[in-house]
Amino acid sequence: MGYASTIKVPFGPQHPALKEPENFIFEVDGDIVVNVTPRLGYVHRGIEKGFERRTYVQNLYLAERICGICSHAHTTCYVQAVEELLNVDPPPRAKYIRTIIAELERLHSHSLWVGVAAHEAGFDTLFMYTWRDREEVMDLLEAISGNRVHYAMNTLGGVRRDMPADTFQTVKKCMDSFEKRVKEYLHIMKTEQTFLKRTTGVGVLKPEDAITTSAVGPNLRASGIKEDVRADEPYAAYGEIPFHVITAGGGDVLSRALVRSEEMLESISIIRYALDHIPEGPTRIRVPVAVPAGEAVSRVEAPRGELIHYAKSNGTSKPERYKVRAPTLANIPSLAKTLIGSHLADVPLVLAGIDPCFSCMDRMVFVDQNKDKQWIWSMEELKRHVKVERD
Amino acid sequence: MVKEAFEQLFRKSATTKYPLQKATTPAGFRGRPVWDMKKCIGCSLCQNICPSGAIELVGKGMECEIKYFLDRCLFCSQCTEVCPKAAITMSSEFELAGFDRSKMLYWYKRSGVII
Amino acid sequence: MSAIEVVEILVYPGLLFLLVLAFFYEWIDRKFFARVQNRVGPRFAGPAGLFQPLADFLKLISKEDIVPLACDKLLFDSTPIFYFALPLTALFLVPIATQSGLVAFEGDLIFMMFIFALIVVTVFLAGWSSMSRFSIIGAVRAALQMLSYEIPLGLAMIGPALAAGSLSISTIAQWQSSHGSWGLWLQPIGFGTAIVCMLAELELVPFDIPEADTEIVAGWRTEFSGRKLALFKVGRDLELVLASALITSLFLGGAQQVGIIPPIVMFLVKTIPVILLFSFLRGIFARLRIDQMTSGMWKYLLPIAILQLLLILFGIGK
Repeated sequence: MGYASTIKVPFGPQHPALKEPENFIFEVDGDIVVNVTPRLGYVHRGIEKGFERRTYVQNLYLAERICGICSHAHTTCYVQAVEELLNVDPPPRAKYIRTIIAELERLHSHSLWVGVAAHEAGFDTLFMYTWRDREEVMDLLEAISGNRVHYAMNTLGGVRRDMPADTFQTVKKCMDSFEKRVKEYLHIMKTEQTFLKRTTGVGVLKPEDAITTSAVGPNLRASGIKEDVRADEPYAAYGEIPFHVITAGGGDVLSRALVRSEEMLESISIIRYALDHIPEGPTRIRVPVAVPAGEAVSRVEAPRGELIHYAKSNGTSKPERYKVRAPTLANIPSLAKTLIGSHLADVPLVLAGIDPCFSCMDRMVFVDQNKDKQWIWSMEELKRHVKVERD
Repeated sequence: MVKEAFEQLFRKSATTKYPLQKATTPAGFRGRPVWDMKKCIGCSLCQNICPSGAIELVGKGMECEIKYFLDRCLFCSQCTEVCPKAAITMSSEFELAGFDRSKMLYWYKRSGVII
Repeated sequence: MSAIEVVEILVYPGLLFLLVLAFFYEWIDRKFFARVQNRVGPRFAGPAGLFQPLADFLKLISKEDIVPLACDKLLFDSTPIFYFALPLTALFLVPIATQSGLVAFEGDLIFMMFIFALIVVTVFLAGWSSMSRFSIIGAVRAALQMLSYEIPLGLAMIGPALAAGSLSISTIAQWQSSHGSWGLWLQPIGFGTAIVCMLAELELVPFDIPEADTEIVAGWRTEFSGRKLALFKVGRDLELVLASALITSLFLGGAQQVGIIPPIVMFLVKTIPVILLFSFLRGIFARLRIDQMTSGMWKYLLPIAILQLLLILFGIGK
């Protein structure tokens, strides 16, 4: 019996490094990774098919549950697509409230990421600190919307709850203390020698590779490319709020950490500006139940990158086809470039560096390479293949 | 980092010592929805709008009874919004876990509630 | 062997006492580490969670012992026992409740270093015999780590031996109290080197590379469960006691009788700050990569240890 010179190390679907199940098989020669084979699809839930069987109002909550941590981004994208089909424009106060909630979500998503990246590097103390401070933002969101995740603030034509003026003071106080903590973490990340050693020069993604492998979000911006949906195609109230698009050179895990932390500071300033300039007025307008036929695409800058929703309506109260392209799916091809040639110990850090949200990501489409054909399954075919308990 | 870590030793811990220390919910928290059957007119708008089919009406009109399935509820409070008589309110109950699904049915009759 | 010696070896300050001490030190380590992170640590088992390590041990013993099919059965079954027995043996050499260890002889410092090496060999064999990808990688990393820290550790420990003119741990401890000064301020560089090398020996962050739990599940310990894992956990706690007792004896004066205070109290008073130091260092660093660790050790720590020896040879620190 001969021994192979490389070992195949499986990462997942259950692995301490991954927070969500996907399978990566690494071929390791000693300590260096020579090949990566990703296998996706472990979190496929048939959501796009679920969209076709519910009314537009019920789909709001299905869209929210595509992901827990970028839930508001999904509902905003959904609501914008359907509002485009309906040809309505929500009132300005609703747009400002949507922006504030989106930035609060970005805050708690990025601070979760800092904790997770520290945990992958073995830096458990920073992990505990960031998650402790993140609780302040979660409590704030609970007071505003009634729940810590899945805020259910968006609805067709506006937002469901108003933000009364006395919540503004609580939000501003929370922002002040959170800003101090974020600056402290930036300082720690830039000066703690062991953390710097683990993240500098690790998982480098060159700018031309970032563009050819379709990286989005902070990964793209950490390679020095200035692209942000909030600035390129302003939606909600972003057209009226001045902010900077944060980039960093380097393209390694440290650059991604710095980009996300500084985006947190930028979010805090956006929230402050929005609170000071929010217009009075109604928060929602009535919309008809049946949506006219047509197609709409909407893009939103989720905390992980560019999120695309496509809606096709045929005039009834239920959509005909709905497609979601989550940002993590666009970041996976860049993994092939960054992981090969790195040490095995760096793999969790690089994986965590793209901020993976595999639950957003899994969609299924059949591709026949020989016949160059693509198709999707109908509900009956899906039910035959998978045992479905209820309708 | 050293200074930061050292300071933490003298601060109160951030852990909420639940369940000995009660967790409080803010106003407007979306807990379990509660039906006020004196106001309900049986219009079935809540049943139609529920995204997960957690509400079922038994009977029609003013004599109807409401079956609420806790294990299907999303706590989205869409039913609260759509009820024309404001008969549904979201309470602040969140300790709703259990071992038996059959105990998670709340049957609101016109006289009282059966779980 | 008189009855008193049997009681000494088995109960106090022998086996039973050492086990109790091991659980107590694990509790201190976990509580302090939690406090650094603004958490509470163990809370429910016993007052302030004091019995938590014992509860973990009892729970592990009662769990199913899963043995992988492809493993080397002899090594797989025997390495946990060795891992438990080796620190216990080494602890008999260190003065804990008496001025000299239960078994003290000239040259037992060298024997102690030999036991350290054996512990790492046990770790390597434990990982290698499990025949799982994660444990093989962990075992190889453990062996590589030992090659890096063993020499600076030896050099740091020789320092107090040179100063005291003896190779027996008990004599070195007694020399410090009779000389009136501790190894801590006679040879501070040696003390720092010894602490860093002990962190690597105990596999604590930043050197917990062999059992990096976010990378290779649990490294060399991955395939062990039930009773074997319980023995590994107790062995780790005993190593904690051993490391702190060794540092205390070599650099902090050891368990000496001060006035009417018995040696055991001085032992506790001196080893507990060492444990707190280990926990604190565990909390403020990130984990290093294996190649960074080996290059750092050989490029920086070894010259520093040699520098300390040169200083002693020139008369400073004697």
